[in-house]
Amino acid sequence: MSLPTGLVSHTQKVKSLYKQALRCLESWYDRREVYRYHAVLMRNRFDLNKDIKDMRIAKDLIAQGEEELFKKQHWLPRKFPHSPGGVAHGREVIPPDWVLDYWHPLEKAQYPEYFARREQRKREYVKLWEKKFGKSEALPH
Amino acid sequence: MHICLIFSGLFLFWSTVFFLFSIYFIVEGLTWFLEFNLLMINSSSIVMTLLFDWMTFLFMSFVLFISSMVIFYSREYMASDIFINRFIMLVVMFVFSMMFLIVSPNLISILLGWDGLGLVSYCLVIYYQNVKSFNAGMLTALSNRIGDVALLMAIAWMVNYGSWNYVFYLFQLKGDSYMNVISYLVVLAALTKSAQIPFSSWLPAAMAAPTPVSSLVHSSTLVTAGVYLLIRFNFCFNEWLMYFLLFISSMTMFMSGLGASFEFDLKKIIALSTLSQLGLMMMILSLGSYELAFFHLLTHALFKALLFMCAGNIIHSVGDFQDIRYMGGLVKFLPLTCVYFNISNLSLCGLPFLSGFYSKDLVAEIMSMGYLSFYIYLIFYVSIGLTVCYSFRLVYYSFVGSFNFLSLNSVYEGSVMMIKGMGGLIFLVIFMGSSLSWIIFPYPYVIILPLFMKILTLLMVILGAWIGYELSKFFISYDSLSLKNYSLSWFLSNMWNMPVISTLGINYYPIIGGSFLYKSLDQGWSEVLGSQGIYSVIVSGSKISQIFMNNSIKIFFVLMIVWLMIIFMI
Repeated sequence: MSLPTGLVSHTQKVKSLYKQALRCLESWYDRREVYRYHAVLMRNRFDLNKDIKDMRIAKDLIAQGEEELFKKQHWLPRKFPHSPGGVAHGREVIPPDWVLDYWHPLEKAQYPEYFARREQRKREYVKLWEKKFGKSEALPH
Repeated sequence: MHICLIFSGLFLFWSTVFFLFSIYFIVEGLTWFLEFNLLMINSSSIVMTLLFDWMTFLFMSFVLFISSMVIFYSREYMASDIFINRFIMLVVMFVFSMMFLIVSPNLISILLGWDGLGLVSYCLVIYYQNVKSFNAGMLTALSNRIGDVALLMAIAWMVNYGSWNYVFYLFQLKGDSYMNVISYLVVLAALTKSAQIPFSSWLPAAMAAPTPVSSLVHSSTLVTAGVYLLIRFNFCFNEWLMYFLLFISSMTMFMSGLGASFEFDLKKIIALSTLSQLGLMMMILSLGSYELAFFHLLTHALFKALLFMCAGNIIHSVGDFQDIRYMGGLVKFLPLTCVYFNISNLSLCGLPFLSGFYSKDLVAEIMSMGYLSFYIYLIFYVSIGLTVCYSFRLVYYSFVGSFNFLSLNSVYEGSVMMIKGMGGLIFLVIFMGSSLSWIIFPYPYVIILPLFMKILTLLMVILGAWIGYELSKFFISYDSLSLKNYSLSWFLSNMWNMPVISTLGINYYPIIGGSFLYKSLDQGWSEVLGSQGIYSVIVSGSKISQIFMNNSIKIFFVLMIVWLMIIFMI
């Protein structure tokens, strides 16, 4: 669960609602010209209220808009496959390389040549790094 | 990579051999039982029995052929996958489980094959390791688990006969009301495996698996295992069980047809179409024509496998997009895939003279000739129309309509291995219907129907095609009809709320009840009366005894003297 880490301004809320409304329309109307027609209508609905200065009314309008969006959500919203919620999102989990460093010594002992070379490569890499960027300072404990 | 070629070649070879065997067995009318004495303790022997008849060989030949093509196809489809060897080994394990199931005339060995299918299909559904796959895998595994339990219970009940070789008891089973329990349990197991109502939700969810898996597992083999089991057991079903099966299968067919007409996920549409065809097989099975059900099972396996492979090629070409709203006009970019897709789609619709026509039309005619209620008749023909309707809708959205993909340049037909894999099936999709009808039915069914009833299937096909194509293309106003009838379209697209019932519907009240029990019992009464209560009683008791212990040496001496006095007095 993501926690709110900052204040969301009213303008951001309106923009977010507008974008979500367009995405919702995209799910319902799969033909471009029909979608464009409804997108223009939606833009008009937002434009009609753009000059409202009274924040109480503006907040109320956003609440109404969000409720309408919720009630009209598509049963299968259009999603890009590799984006969150898409069919191919997070399909292949490739374990990171550092997992090997956490192997048990007994496990490592089964592949002695590989791990010996790995350690050597790590030392070489550290040497290369220090040559290029200098020695790292010891962290205070 | 070589593993694909090795297993593909091996399966192709054995498929040919088994096909020839099946023809020989049909011609000679043979049935072989092979018995291996595995273990002998005193006078009890444990015998492994294998059943070989034309049905066994033909089914094995089809499964192996489709597996061979699918593995060949996977060589390119899964080429970028780093775990392709594991994938192929899983598919091979699946094929072996299926073989084991097919040749088993014994409930125990059927259970082994059956559980093998369930386990491997679970591993294949969660092959892509994201949350959606895990959820789908859990739904698949647990739905199928109900069937496994039913089979286990059938095994337990069959101990009454002293043997699990069901083939020897089928006719006794029918007459015995106590032993009929076995047939009820077998039907329950088949309903779960073939995803009939109310266990339908797992099949569309299982589309989270890679497409070659869907092509082999979720169209032609795993889901047909339930139908195959019923084909083997059909002699022992009583009349009421048949009626029950007829009702359930007709509802499944209707529900999935409606669901597919509202679905937008390419693979799920095909999965729902599989569900609808499984309903059709179950329907004709419940009318007693088990050979016809088997015939449709085989032809369906061919065209559905090809349909899934085409879907895989489309998904591969358009960069993992599965939503048909992103497609359209692909005929210009994927012409050969379009040809294969359309042929298998038309075969699915039952268009003369493709393979689906021979089985589906015969099923429709046998249905028309049977003495059935108008309700069943209506549902059946409407469902046939719906099949054509969603097939044409799919063709419109993916191949014909306006181009909706994000980029023009990236779509092209460059997958030679995949095309070759699909090409292996296309000839069978066209010709195997007629060939099989000649092989399986040495003399044709006698069909006597009025002209209107005879051409009703064709009329429904044409009507369904027209509605499916026109409704996708044509619109009256710029407002969405689905949005206007929101609740109805939501209900139909969600398979009559079947996924909700299978997931939240089952676990909602147990979870609520569990949290209540946890609060009031685990952390409430049993804590007060149990651990904490016992603890406080013991603490207060020891406090009281502590009073006697504190500096009371005189009391101990007095007590000792009293004790000695009592002893001497006695």
